[in-house]
Amino acid sequence: MGGAAAVGTLAACGGKSSGGGGGQLKIIGAGSQEAGLRKALEEYKAKNADFDFNLSFSPADQLQTALRAQLAAGNAPDLHAVYPGNGSAMSMVQLSKANLLADLSDQAWTQKIPSGFKGAFQQDGKTRIFSPGTSVLGVIYNKKAFATAGVQPPTTWSELLTVCETLKKKGIVPLALGAQTPWVTQLINYALVPGTVYAKQPDFDDKMAAGSATFAGSGWADAMNKYLELQKRGFFNPNPNGTTYEQATSMVGTGKAAMAVQVSAVLQAYREAAPSPDDLGMFPLPATDNAADNWIPGGIVVGIAVSAKSKKADQARKFVEFCGQPEVVSAWAEAIACVPLYSEGEAKVDPVLKPFLPFLANNKAVPFMDQRWPNAEVQPTHFAVVQELLGGKTTVDGALKKMDEAYRKSA
Amino acid sequence: MTAVMSPPVTPVPPPVRRVGRRGGIAPPWLFAAPALLVYALVMLYPSIVGAGSAFTDWSGVGEQRSFVGLANFKQLLHDDQALGALRNTLFLTVAIVVVQNGLGLLLALGVHTTIKSRMVLRVIFFAPVVVSPVMVSFLWKYVYNPAPDAGLNAALNAVGLGSLRQDWLGNPSLAIWSVAFTVIWQCAGYSMVIFLAGLEGVPQELHESAMVDGAGTVARFRHITWPLLAPAVTINVMLSTVGGLTLFTQIIAMTNGGPGYATDTLSTVLYKQAFVFGKFGYSTAVALVLAIFVAAVSFIQIGYLRSRETAA
Repeated sequence: MGGAAAVGTLAACGGKSSGGGGGQLKIIGAGSQEAGLRKALEEYKAKNADFDFNLSFSPADQLQTALRAQLAAGNAPDLHAVYPGNGSAMSMVQLSKANLLADLSDQAWTQKIPSGFKGAFQQDGKTRIFSPGTSVLGVIYNKKAFATAGVQPPTTWSELLTVCETLKKKGIVPLALGAQTPWVTQLINYALVPGTVYAKQPDFDDKMAAGSATFAGSGWADAMNKYLELQKRGFFNPNPNGTTYEQATSMVGTGKAAMAVQVSAVLQAYREAAPSPDDLGMFPLPATDNAADNWIPGGIVVGIAVSAKSKKADQARKFVEFCGQPEVVSAWAEAIACVPLYSEGEAKVDPVLKPFLPFLANNKAVPFMDQRWPNAEVQPTHFAVVQELLGGKTTVDGALKKMDEAYRKSA
Repeated sequence: MTAVMSPPVTPVPPPVRRVGRRGGIAPPWLFAAPALLVYALVMLYPSIVGAGSAFTDWSGVGEQRSFVGLANFKQLLHDDQALGALRNTLFLTVAIVVVQNGLGLLLALGVHTTIKSRMVLRVIFFAPVVVSPVMVSFLWKYVYNPAPDAGLNAALNAVGLGSLRQDWLGNPSLAIWSVAFTVIWQCAGYSMVIFLAGLEGVPQELHESAMVDGAGTVARFRHITWPLLAPAVTINVMLSTVGGLTLFTQIIAMTNGGPGYATDTLSTVLYKQAFVFGKFGYSTAVALVLAIFVAAVSFIQIGYLRSRETAA
């Protein structure tokens, strides 16, 4: 899910060295995946006495630097986090092109990847990462704050504005925005664009790749204008550019703010910030006034891949094969509040995600936008221009022009 | 009888002859050889090999790379982000060199007195220097909290200056000043120590003679202290210039170059090109240009400042 990945603690820990099997497997995971990956590892270890691992995690903003440095130095971990699709320097496509990821295509679970998601997992027809499923992007809201203001989750853009206005009059910050943390800047656009762009032009990514579409000449402009409208109406906390992700999380958890546009993968962090986990719910962010046009972003979450240069590749591949079993996929997905990649029978998901399931079932979900961007420069450019927009240093046209320029740069 | 004053003759020690085991003279560089070898292995060799990447399109990972000649350098000339970062870098450098050294000099003059608390004050002013820049950056992020009831904003409110409250790091026009202030706050003590060492070397007799001749404090500073501080000025200006031109840690920790591109410096640009955009070749080209730029500025500066020392 590219830079829309979440937080975690920089905690190094893992199993004890048993000296058995093929030795300790070195693993570096994304912080947002900790609960699921750890669960899978512990279960696998319980069933395989000779298996042992050394696990560490890194938050999204440090993962790229730390892992790329290790990959460049030739001492990559045996298993490590990789972003699905393309669009970031640690994405599956970028690393596959550098021949750094082992081919997993011969594993049974790869046959179950839904066709719409293959681009996130495969490069040149070969599966290079495992991911437990789809994270959705929507509005995490504080139910108590909504009750105080007497409002319900909105289903259209106009309703959203009304809800925000009512909350503001009650002295509650309608939307918490921690735009000082770069990856947070993109989320509102990512939540709006499925409705303003993809509902009308499902082949927008293909047209961009072919050079027959631009960000500036598309519904991206509508999304950015709506983003700015929220700011102009005073619906964000003051000074979003000076506010961090952590501060915004705390504001929603404590009810000082009512909502935040976020990925479901960080739900756990919001729950930890709230007096009671049940205080929080989620709903899709409506982008238009026509409910049928309100699509959602649903991106494959950060996956794990086997390093092509690992001396314990067989051992690592066996673990990935274990992860691909439906019950492990389900358990992992549930632990990180995402929708499992596939399931036997009805998928078991976190109840707060239920409003999103009809969108996934009705093909009204599109992958996070960066997963099909051609290089690693568009996404950071998006971060920067949103901060400039919020700081009044550029216009929507200027911002989208910069994104178009970044898009046209070579991979 | 008049005594003829002759200049004191400093006895010149006989040249030290380093005698080898067989009675020969060991060349002086032999003593530096182990250090030079280590330096060559861990600094020179990787730098030269790394510089070669500037002429390739290497992504930073994997084996694939092609020779692209000067393409990366040509791209740099048309890179708006890098040019913006150059402007920020120069602004920060000038601010740091002028304000940090000015403040350092004032602090040094202040604690170069006979007041009882001078040692305590020296420690207080020097303390930020020994704290990790990352720690200082996070500390100041709290100080710069944009909330009206936190950090600096709360302090301003408490003294009746609530109208001056700002989004210190989130306002694109203000962020670079906020970062510059933090760096200056941390490093002024460093400049102070160097100036203090210089002040210790100014002979007291000169001041006493000047006082006998009726020179006031300002005149004594201008005609005695300032000229004799020239070597300290050279060192301080050199160090702060290089520090300003290569400023990285505080920027990454406090603003990550943002909001937008408002606080990007050449160092953050080359870091982002390598680790965020996956363009190691281009990043190395930026690094090479930065290294040459820093070396050129340093040579020019040292040439000028040394001539000033000689004149003094």
